[in-house]
Amino acid sequence: MKWMLFSPEIFYLLAALCFLLLSMTGRLHRRRDHHIALALAVAGVAVCVASLQLEGSLFSETYKIDLFSQVFKLLLSVGLALVVGICSELRGIQERYEHEVYLLLFPCTLATMLLVSSIHWLGVYVSLELSSYSLYILVALRKDWTQGIEAGLKYFLVGVFASAMMLFGMVILYGTTGTLDVKQLAQILPGLMSHAAVVVGLLLALSGFFFKLAVFPFHFWAADVYQGAAHQIAAYIATVSKVAAIAVLVRMVAMLGGSSDYFVHVLAVLSVVSMTVGNLAAIAQKDLKRLLAYSTVAHAGYVLIGILSMNPGGYAGAIFYAMAILVMKFTVFLVLVKVAWDGTNLEVDGLAGLHRRSPLLAMALMVALFSLAGLPPTVGFTGKFLIFTAAMERGHFALVLIAMINVVISLYYYLLMLRAAYLLEPQEQCSPLSLSAPIKLLAGALVVVMVAAGIFPRYLMDLARNAAQGLM
Amino acid sequence: MVTLNSYLTLSAVLFSIGAVGVFTQRNALIMYMCIELMLNAVNLTFIAFSRYLNDLGGHVFVFMIMTVAAAEAAVGLAIIMALFRNKETVNVDEINLSKG
Repeated sequence: MKWMLFSPEIFYLLAALCFLLLSMTGRLHRRRDHHIALALAVAGVAVCVASLQLEGSLFSETYKIDLFSQVFKLLLSVGLALVVGICSELRGIQERYEHEVYLLLFPCTLATMLLVSSIHWLGVYVSLELSSYSLYILVALRKDWTQGIEAGLKYFLVGVFASAMMLFGMVILYGTTGTLDVKQLAQILPGLMSHAAVVVGLLLALSGFFFKLAVFPFHFWAADVYQGAAHQIAAYIATVSKVAAIAVLVRMVAMLGGSSDYFVHVLAVLSVVSMTVGNLAAIAQKDLKRLLAYSTVAHAGYVLIGILSMNPGGYAGAIFYAMAILVMKFTVFLVLVKVAWDGTNLEVDGLAGLHRRSPLLAMALMVALFSLAGLPPTVGFTGKFLIFTAAMERGHFALVLIAMINVVISLYYYLLMLRAAYLLEPQEQCSPLSLSAPIKLLAGALVVVMVAAGIFPRYLMDLARNAAQGLM
Repeated sequence: MVTLNSYLTLSAVLFSIGAVGVFTQRNALIMYMCIELMLNAVNLTFIAFSRYLNDLGGHVFVFMIMTVAAAEAAVGLAIIMALFRNKETVNVDEINLSKG
């Protein structure tokens, strides 16, 4: 019954095929497609929950299924279900291509799932590319042709460049160690970490994921792509794709990174620059999605602190933070999709009067922003707390100090958004936003999750700890 | 007798030409070709190491890279074509967004 281990992946493959068939039927049935997608995505979550406890390996030990990978598969499936949940009106996407959104979203999620389980460079490379290519196309499908295509082109060029760098790193590692299997590499590498070539190779091999996570040298696509992509697609990039990148970075660094000061120092520099650049650039942004993009860059920096601490606490912190990012970022995008319901881009000031137009969304936005800024008692605070304590244990005091300063800087623009939503009066009279009951329920549930996971984080923390335990 | 070092030098040079080209060229098509050059430099290195180490893994990887690069060409050229149909240009400097 080995195929049972593979059940989430098989499920998502079948779901993708189902949409392939649907897209061939010709006429667009928007509601039908959305209902099917939602049903499949929710069923996917159920499949991932059911396979949470599975353990084993497939394909001559190049594909590892453990608690770590299954937790992340669950997160990815939840992310997809949430994003599909806000796809009921795809006004940002060109009508003739609406079919293809689900057709591309499902394989992309499948690819991210393959990514978190792969422990062979070949699997890592192929699944990374599969997920990226789906996203390049999804970004380019924006209704406003020029914006979408330009963003798609930029995403494509930067992404392909990053993957060429990643391949170069892999080939260096292959040349110096003679193996492409990460598990064998983990046994050989610790003795070789003093060689510069090995460290450079490892860093380059991770650059594909730095690109996905929008870490410093590969961050400059983020703002344009978020701005150019349809809101739902930007939400997908900000949540699912980030979670997958964190997963791979955690696993690879946990398996390969040990005992090289040089490696840690480079990661620390990347982290500091990402945080600072992200936060300072975000202050200057007027467009809401560009602002969110730079805040993502900053969050990538925080996550890197957890990863470079290289202790179980740090990995658990990074895993917890991945969960937090998924919920917080999605909530902001939910508000964005509902406020900018016609699919156009929204300025920060466009949030004006939100507390009167829809008190529920305003509250969801408030909690999400507090959480992003790391104020207690929200999930974002717990995540940052876990990461920073893990870093302090390893004596990275300066790093934590810089991160704290950055948190303060980030408060400024999060509060600007909040001020727009609560204090600014809109220029012209705006009608109240009408929300469907499921969306209201979803917004309420997200608020509850963010606060509850902040006050009682024990369950999630234990899950993250157990997942991180299996890595070492 | 061609040694491993000559292959590595050649592919390092190719990779550098590609990487420099991506940053200096402004034509999307040429940038894309430069990236392909980088990929092929990687392929050459893989083959060279594969022969040197007597390990088939590198060969298999090269086949995968070539296959994936074909898919990449399909996606990338489609996006570049769509851009050209819209703007009558493939020069990335004439694109408004690409400044940030």
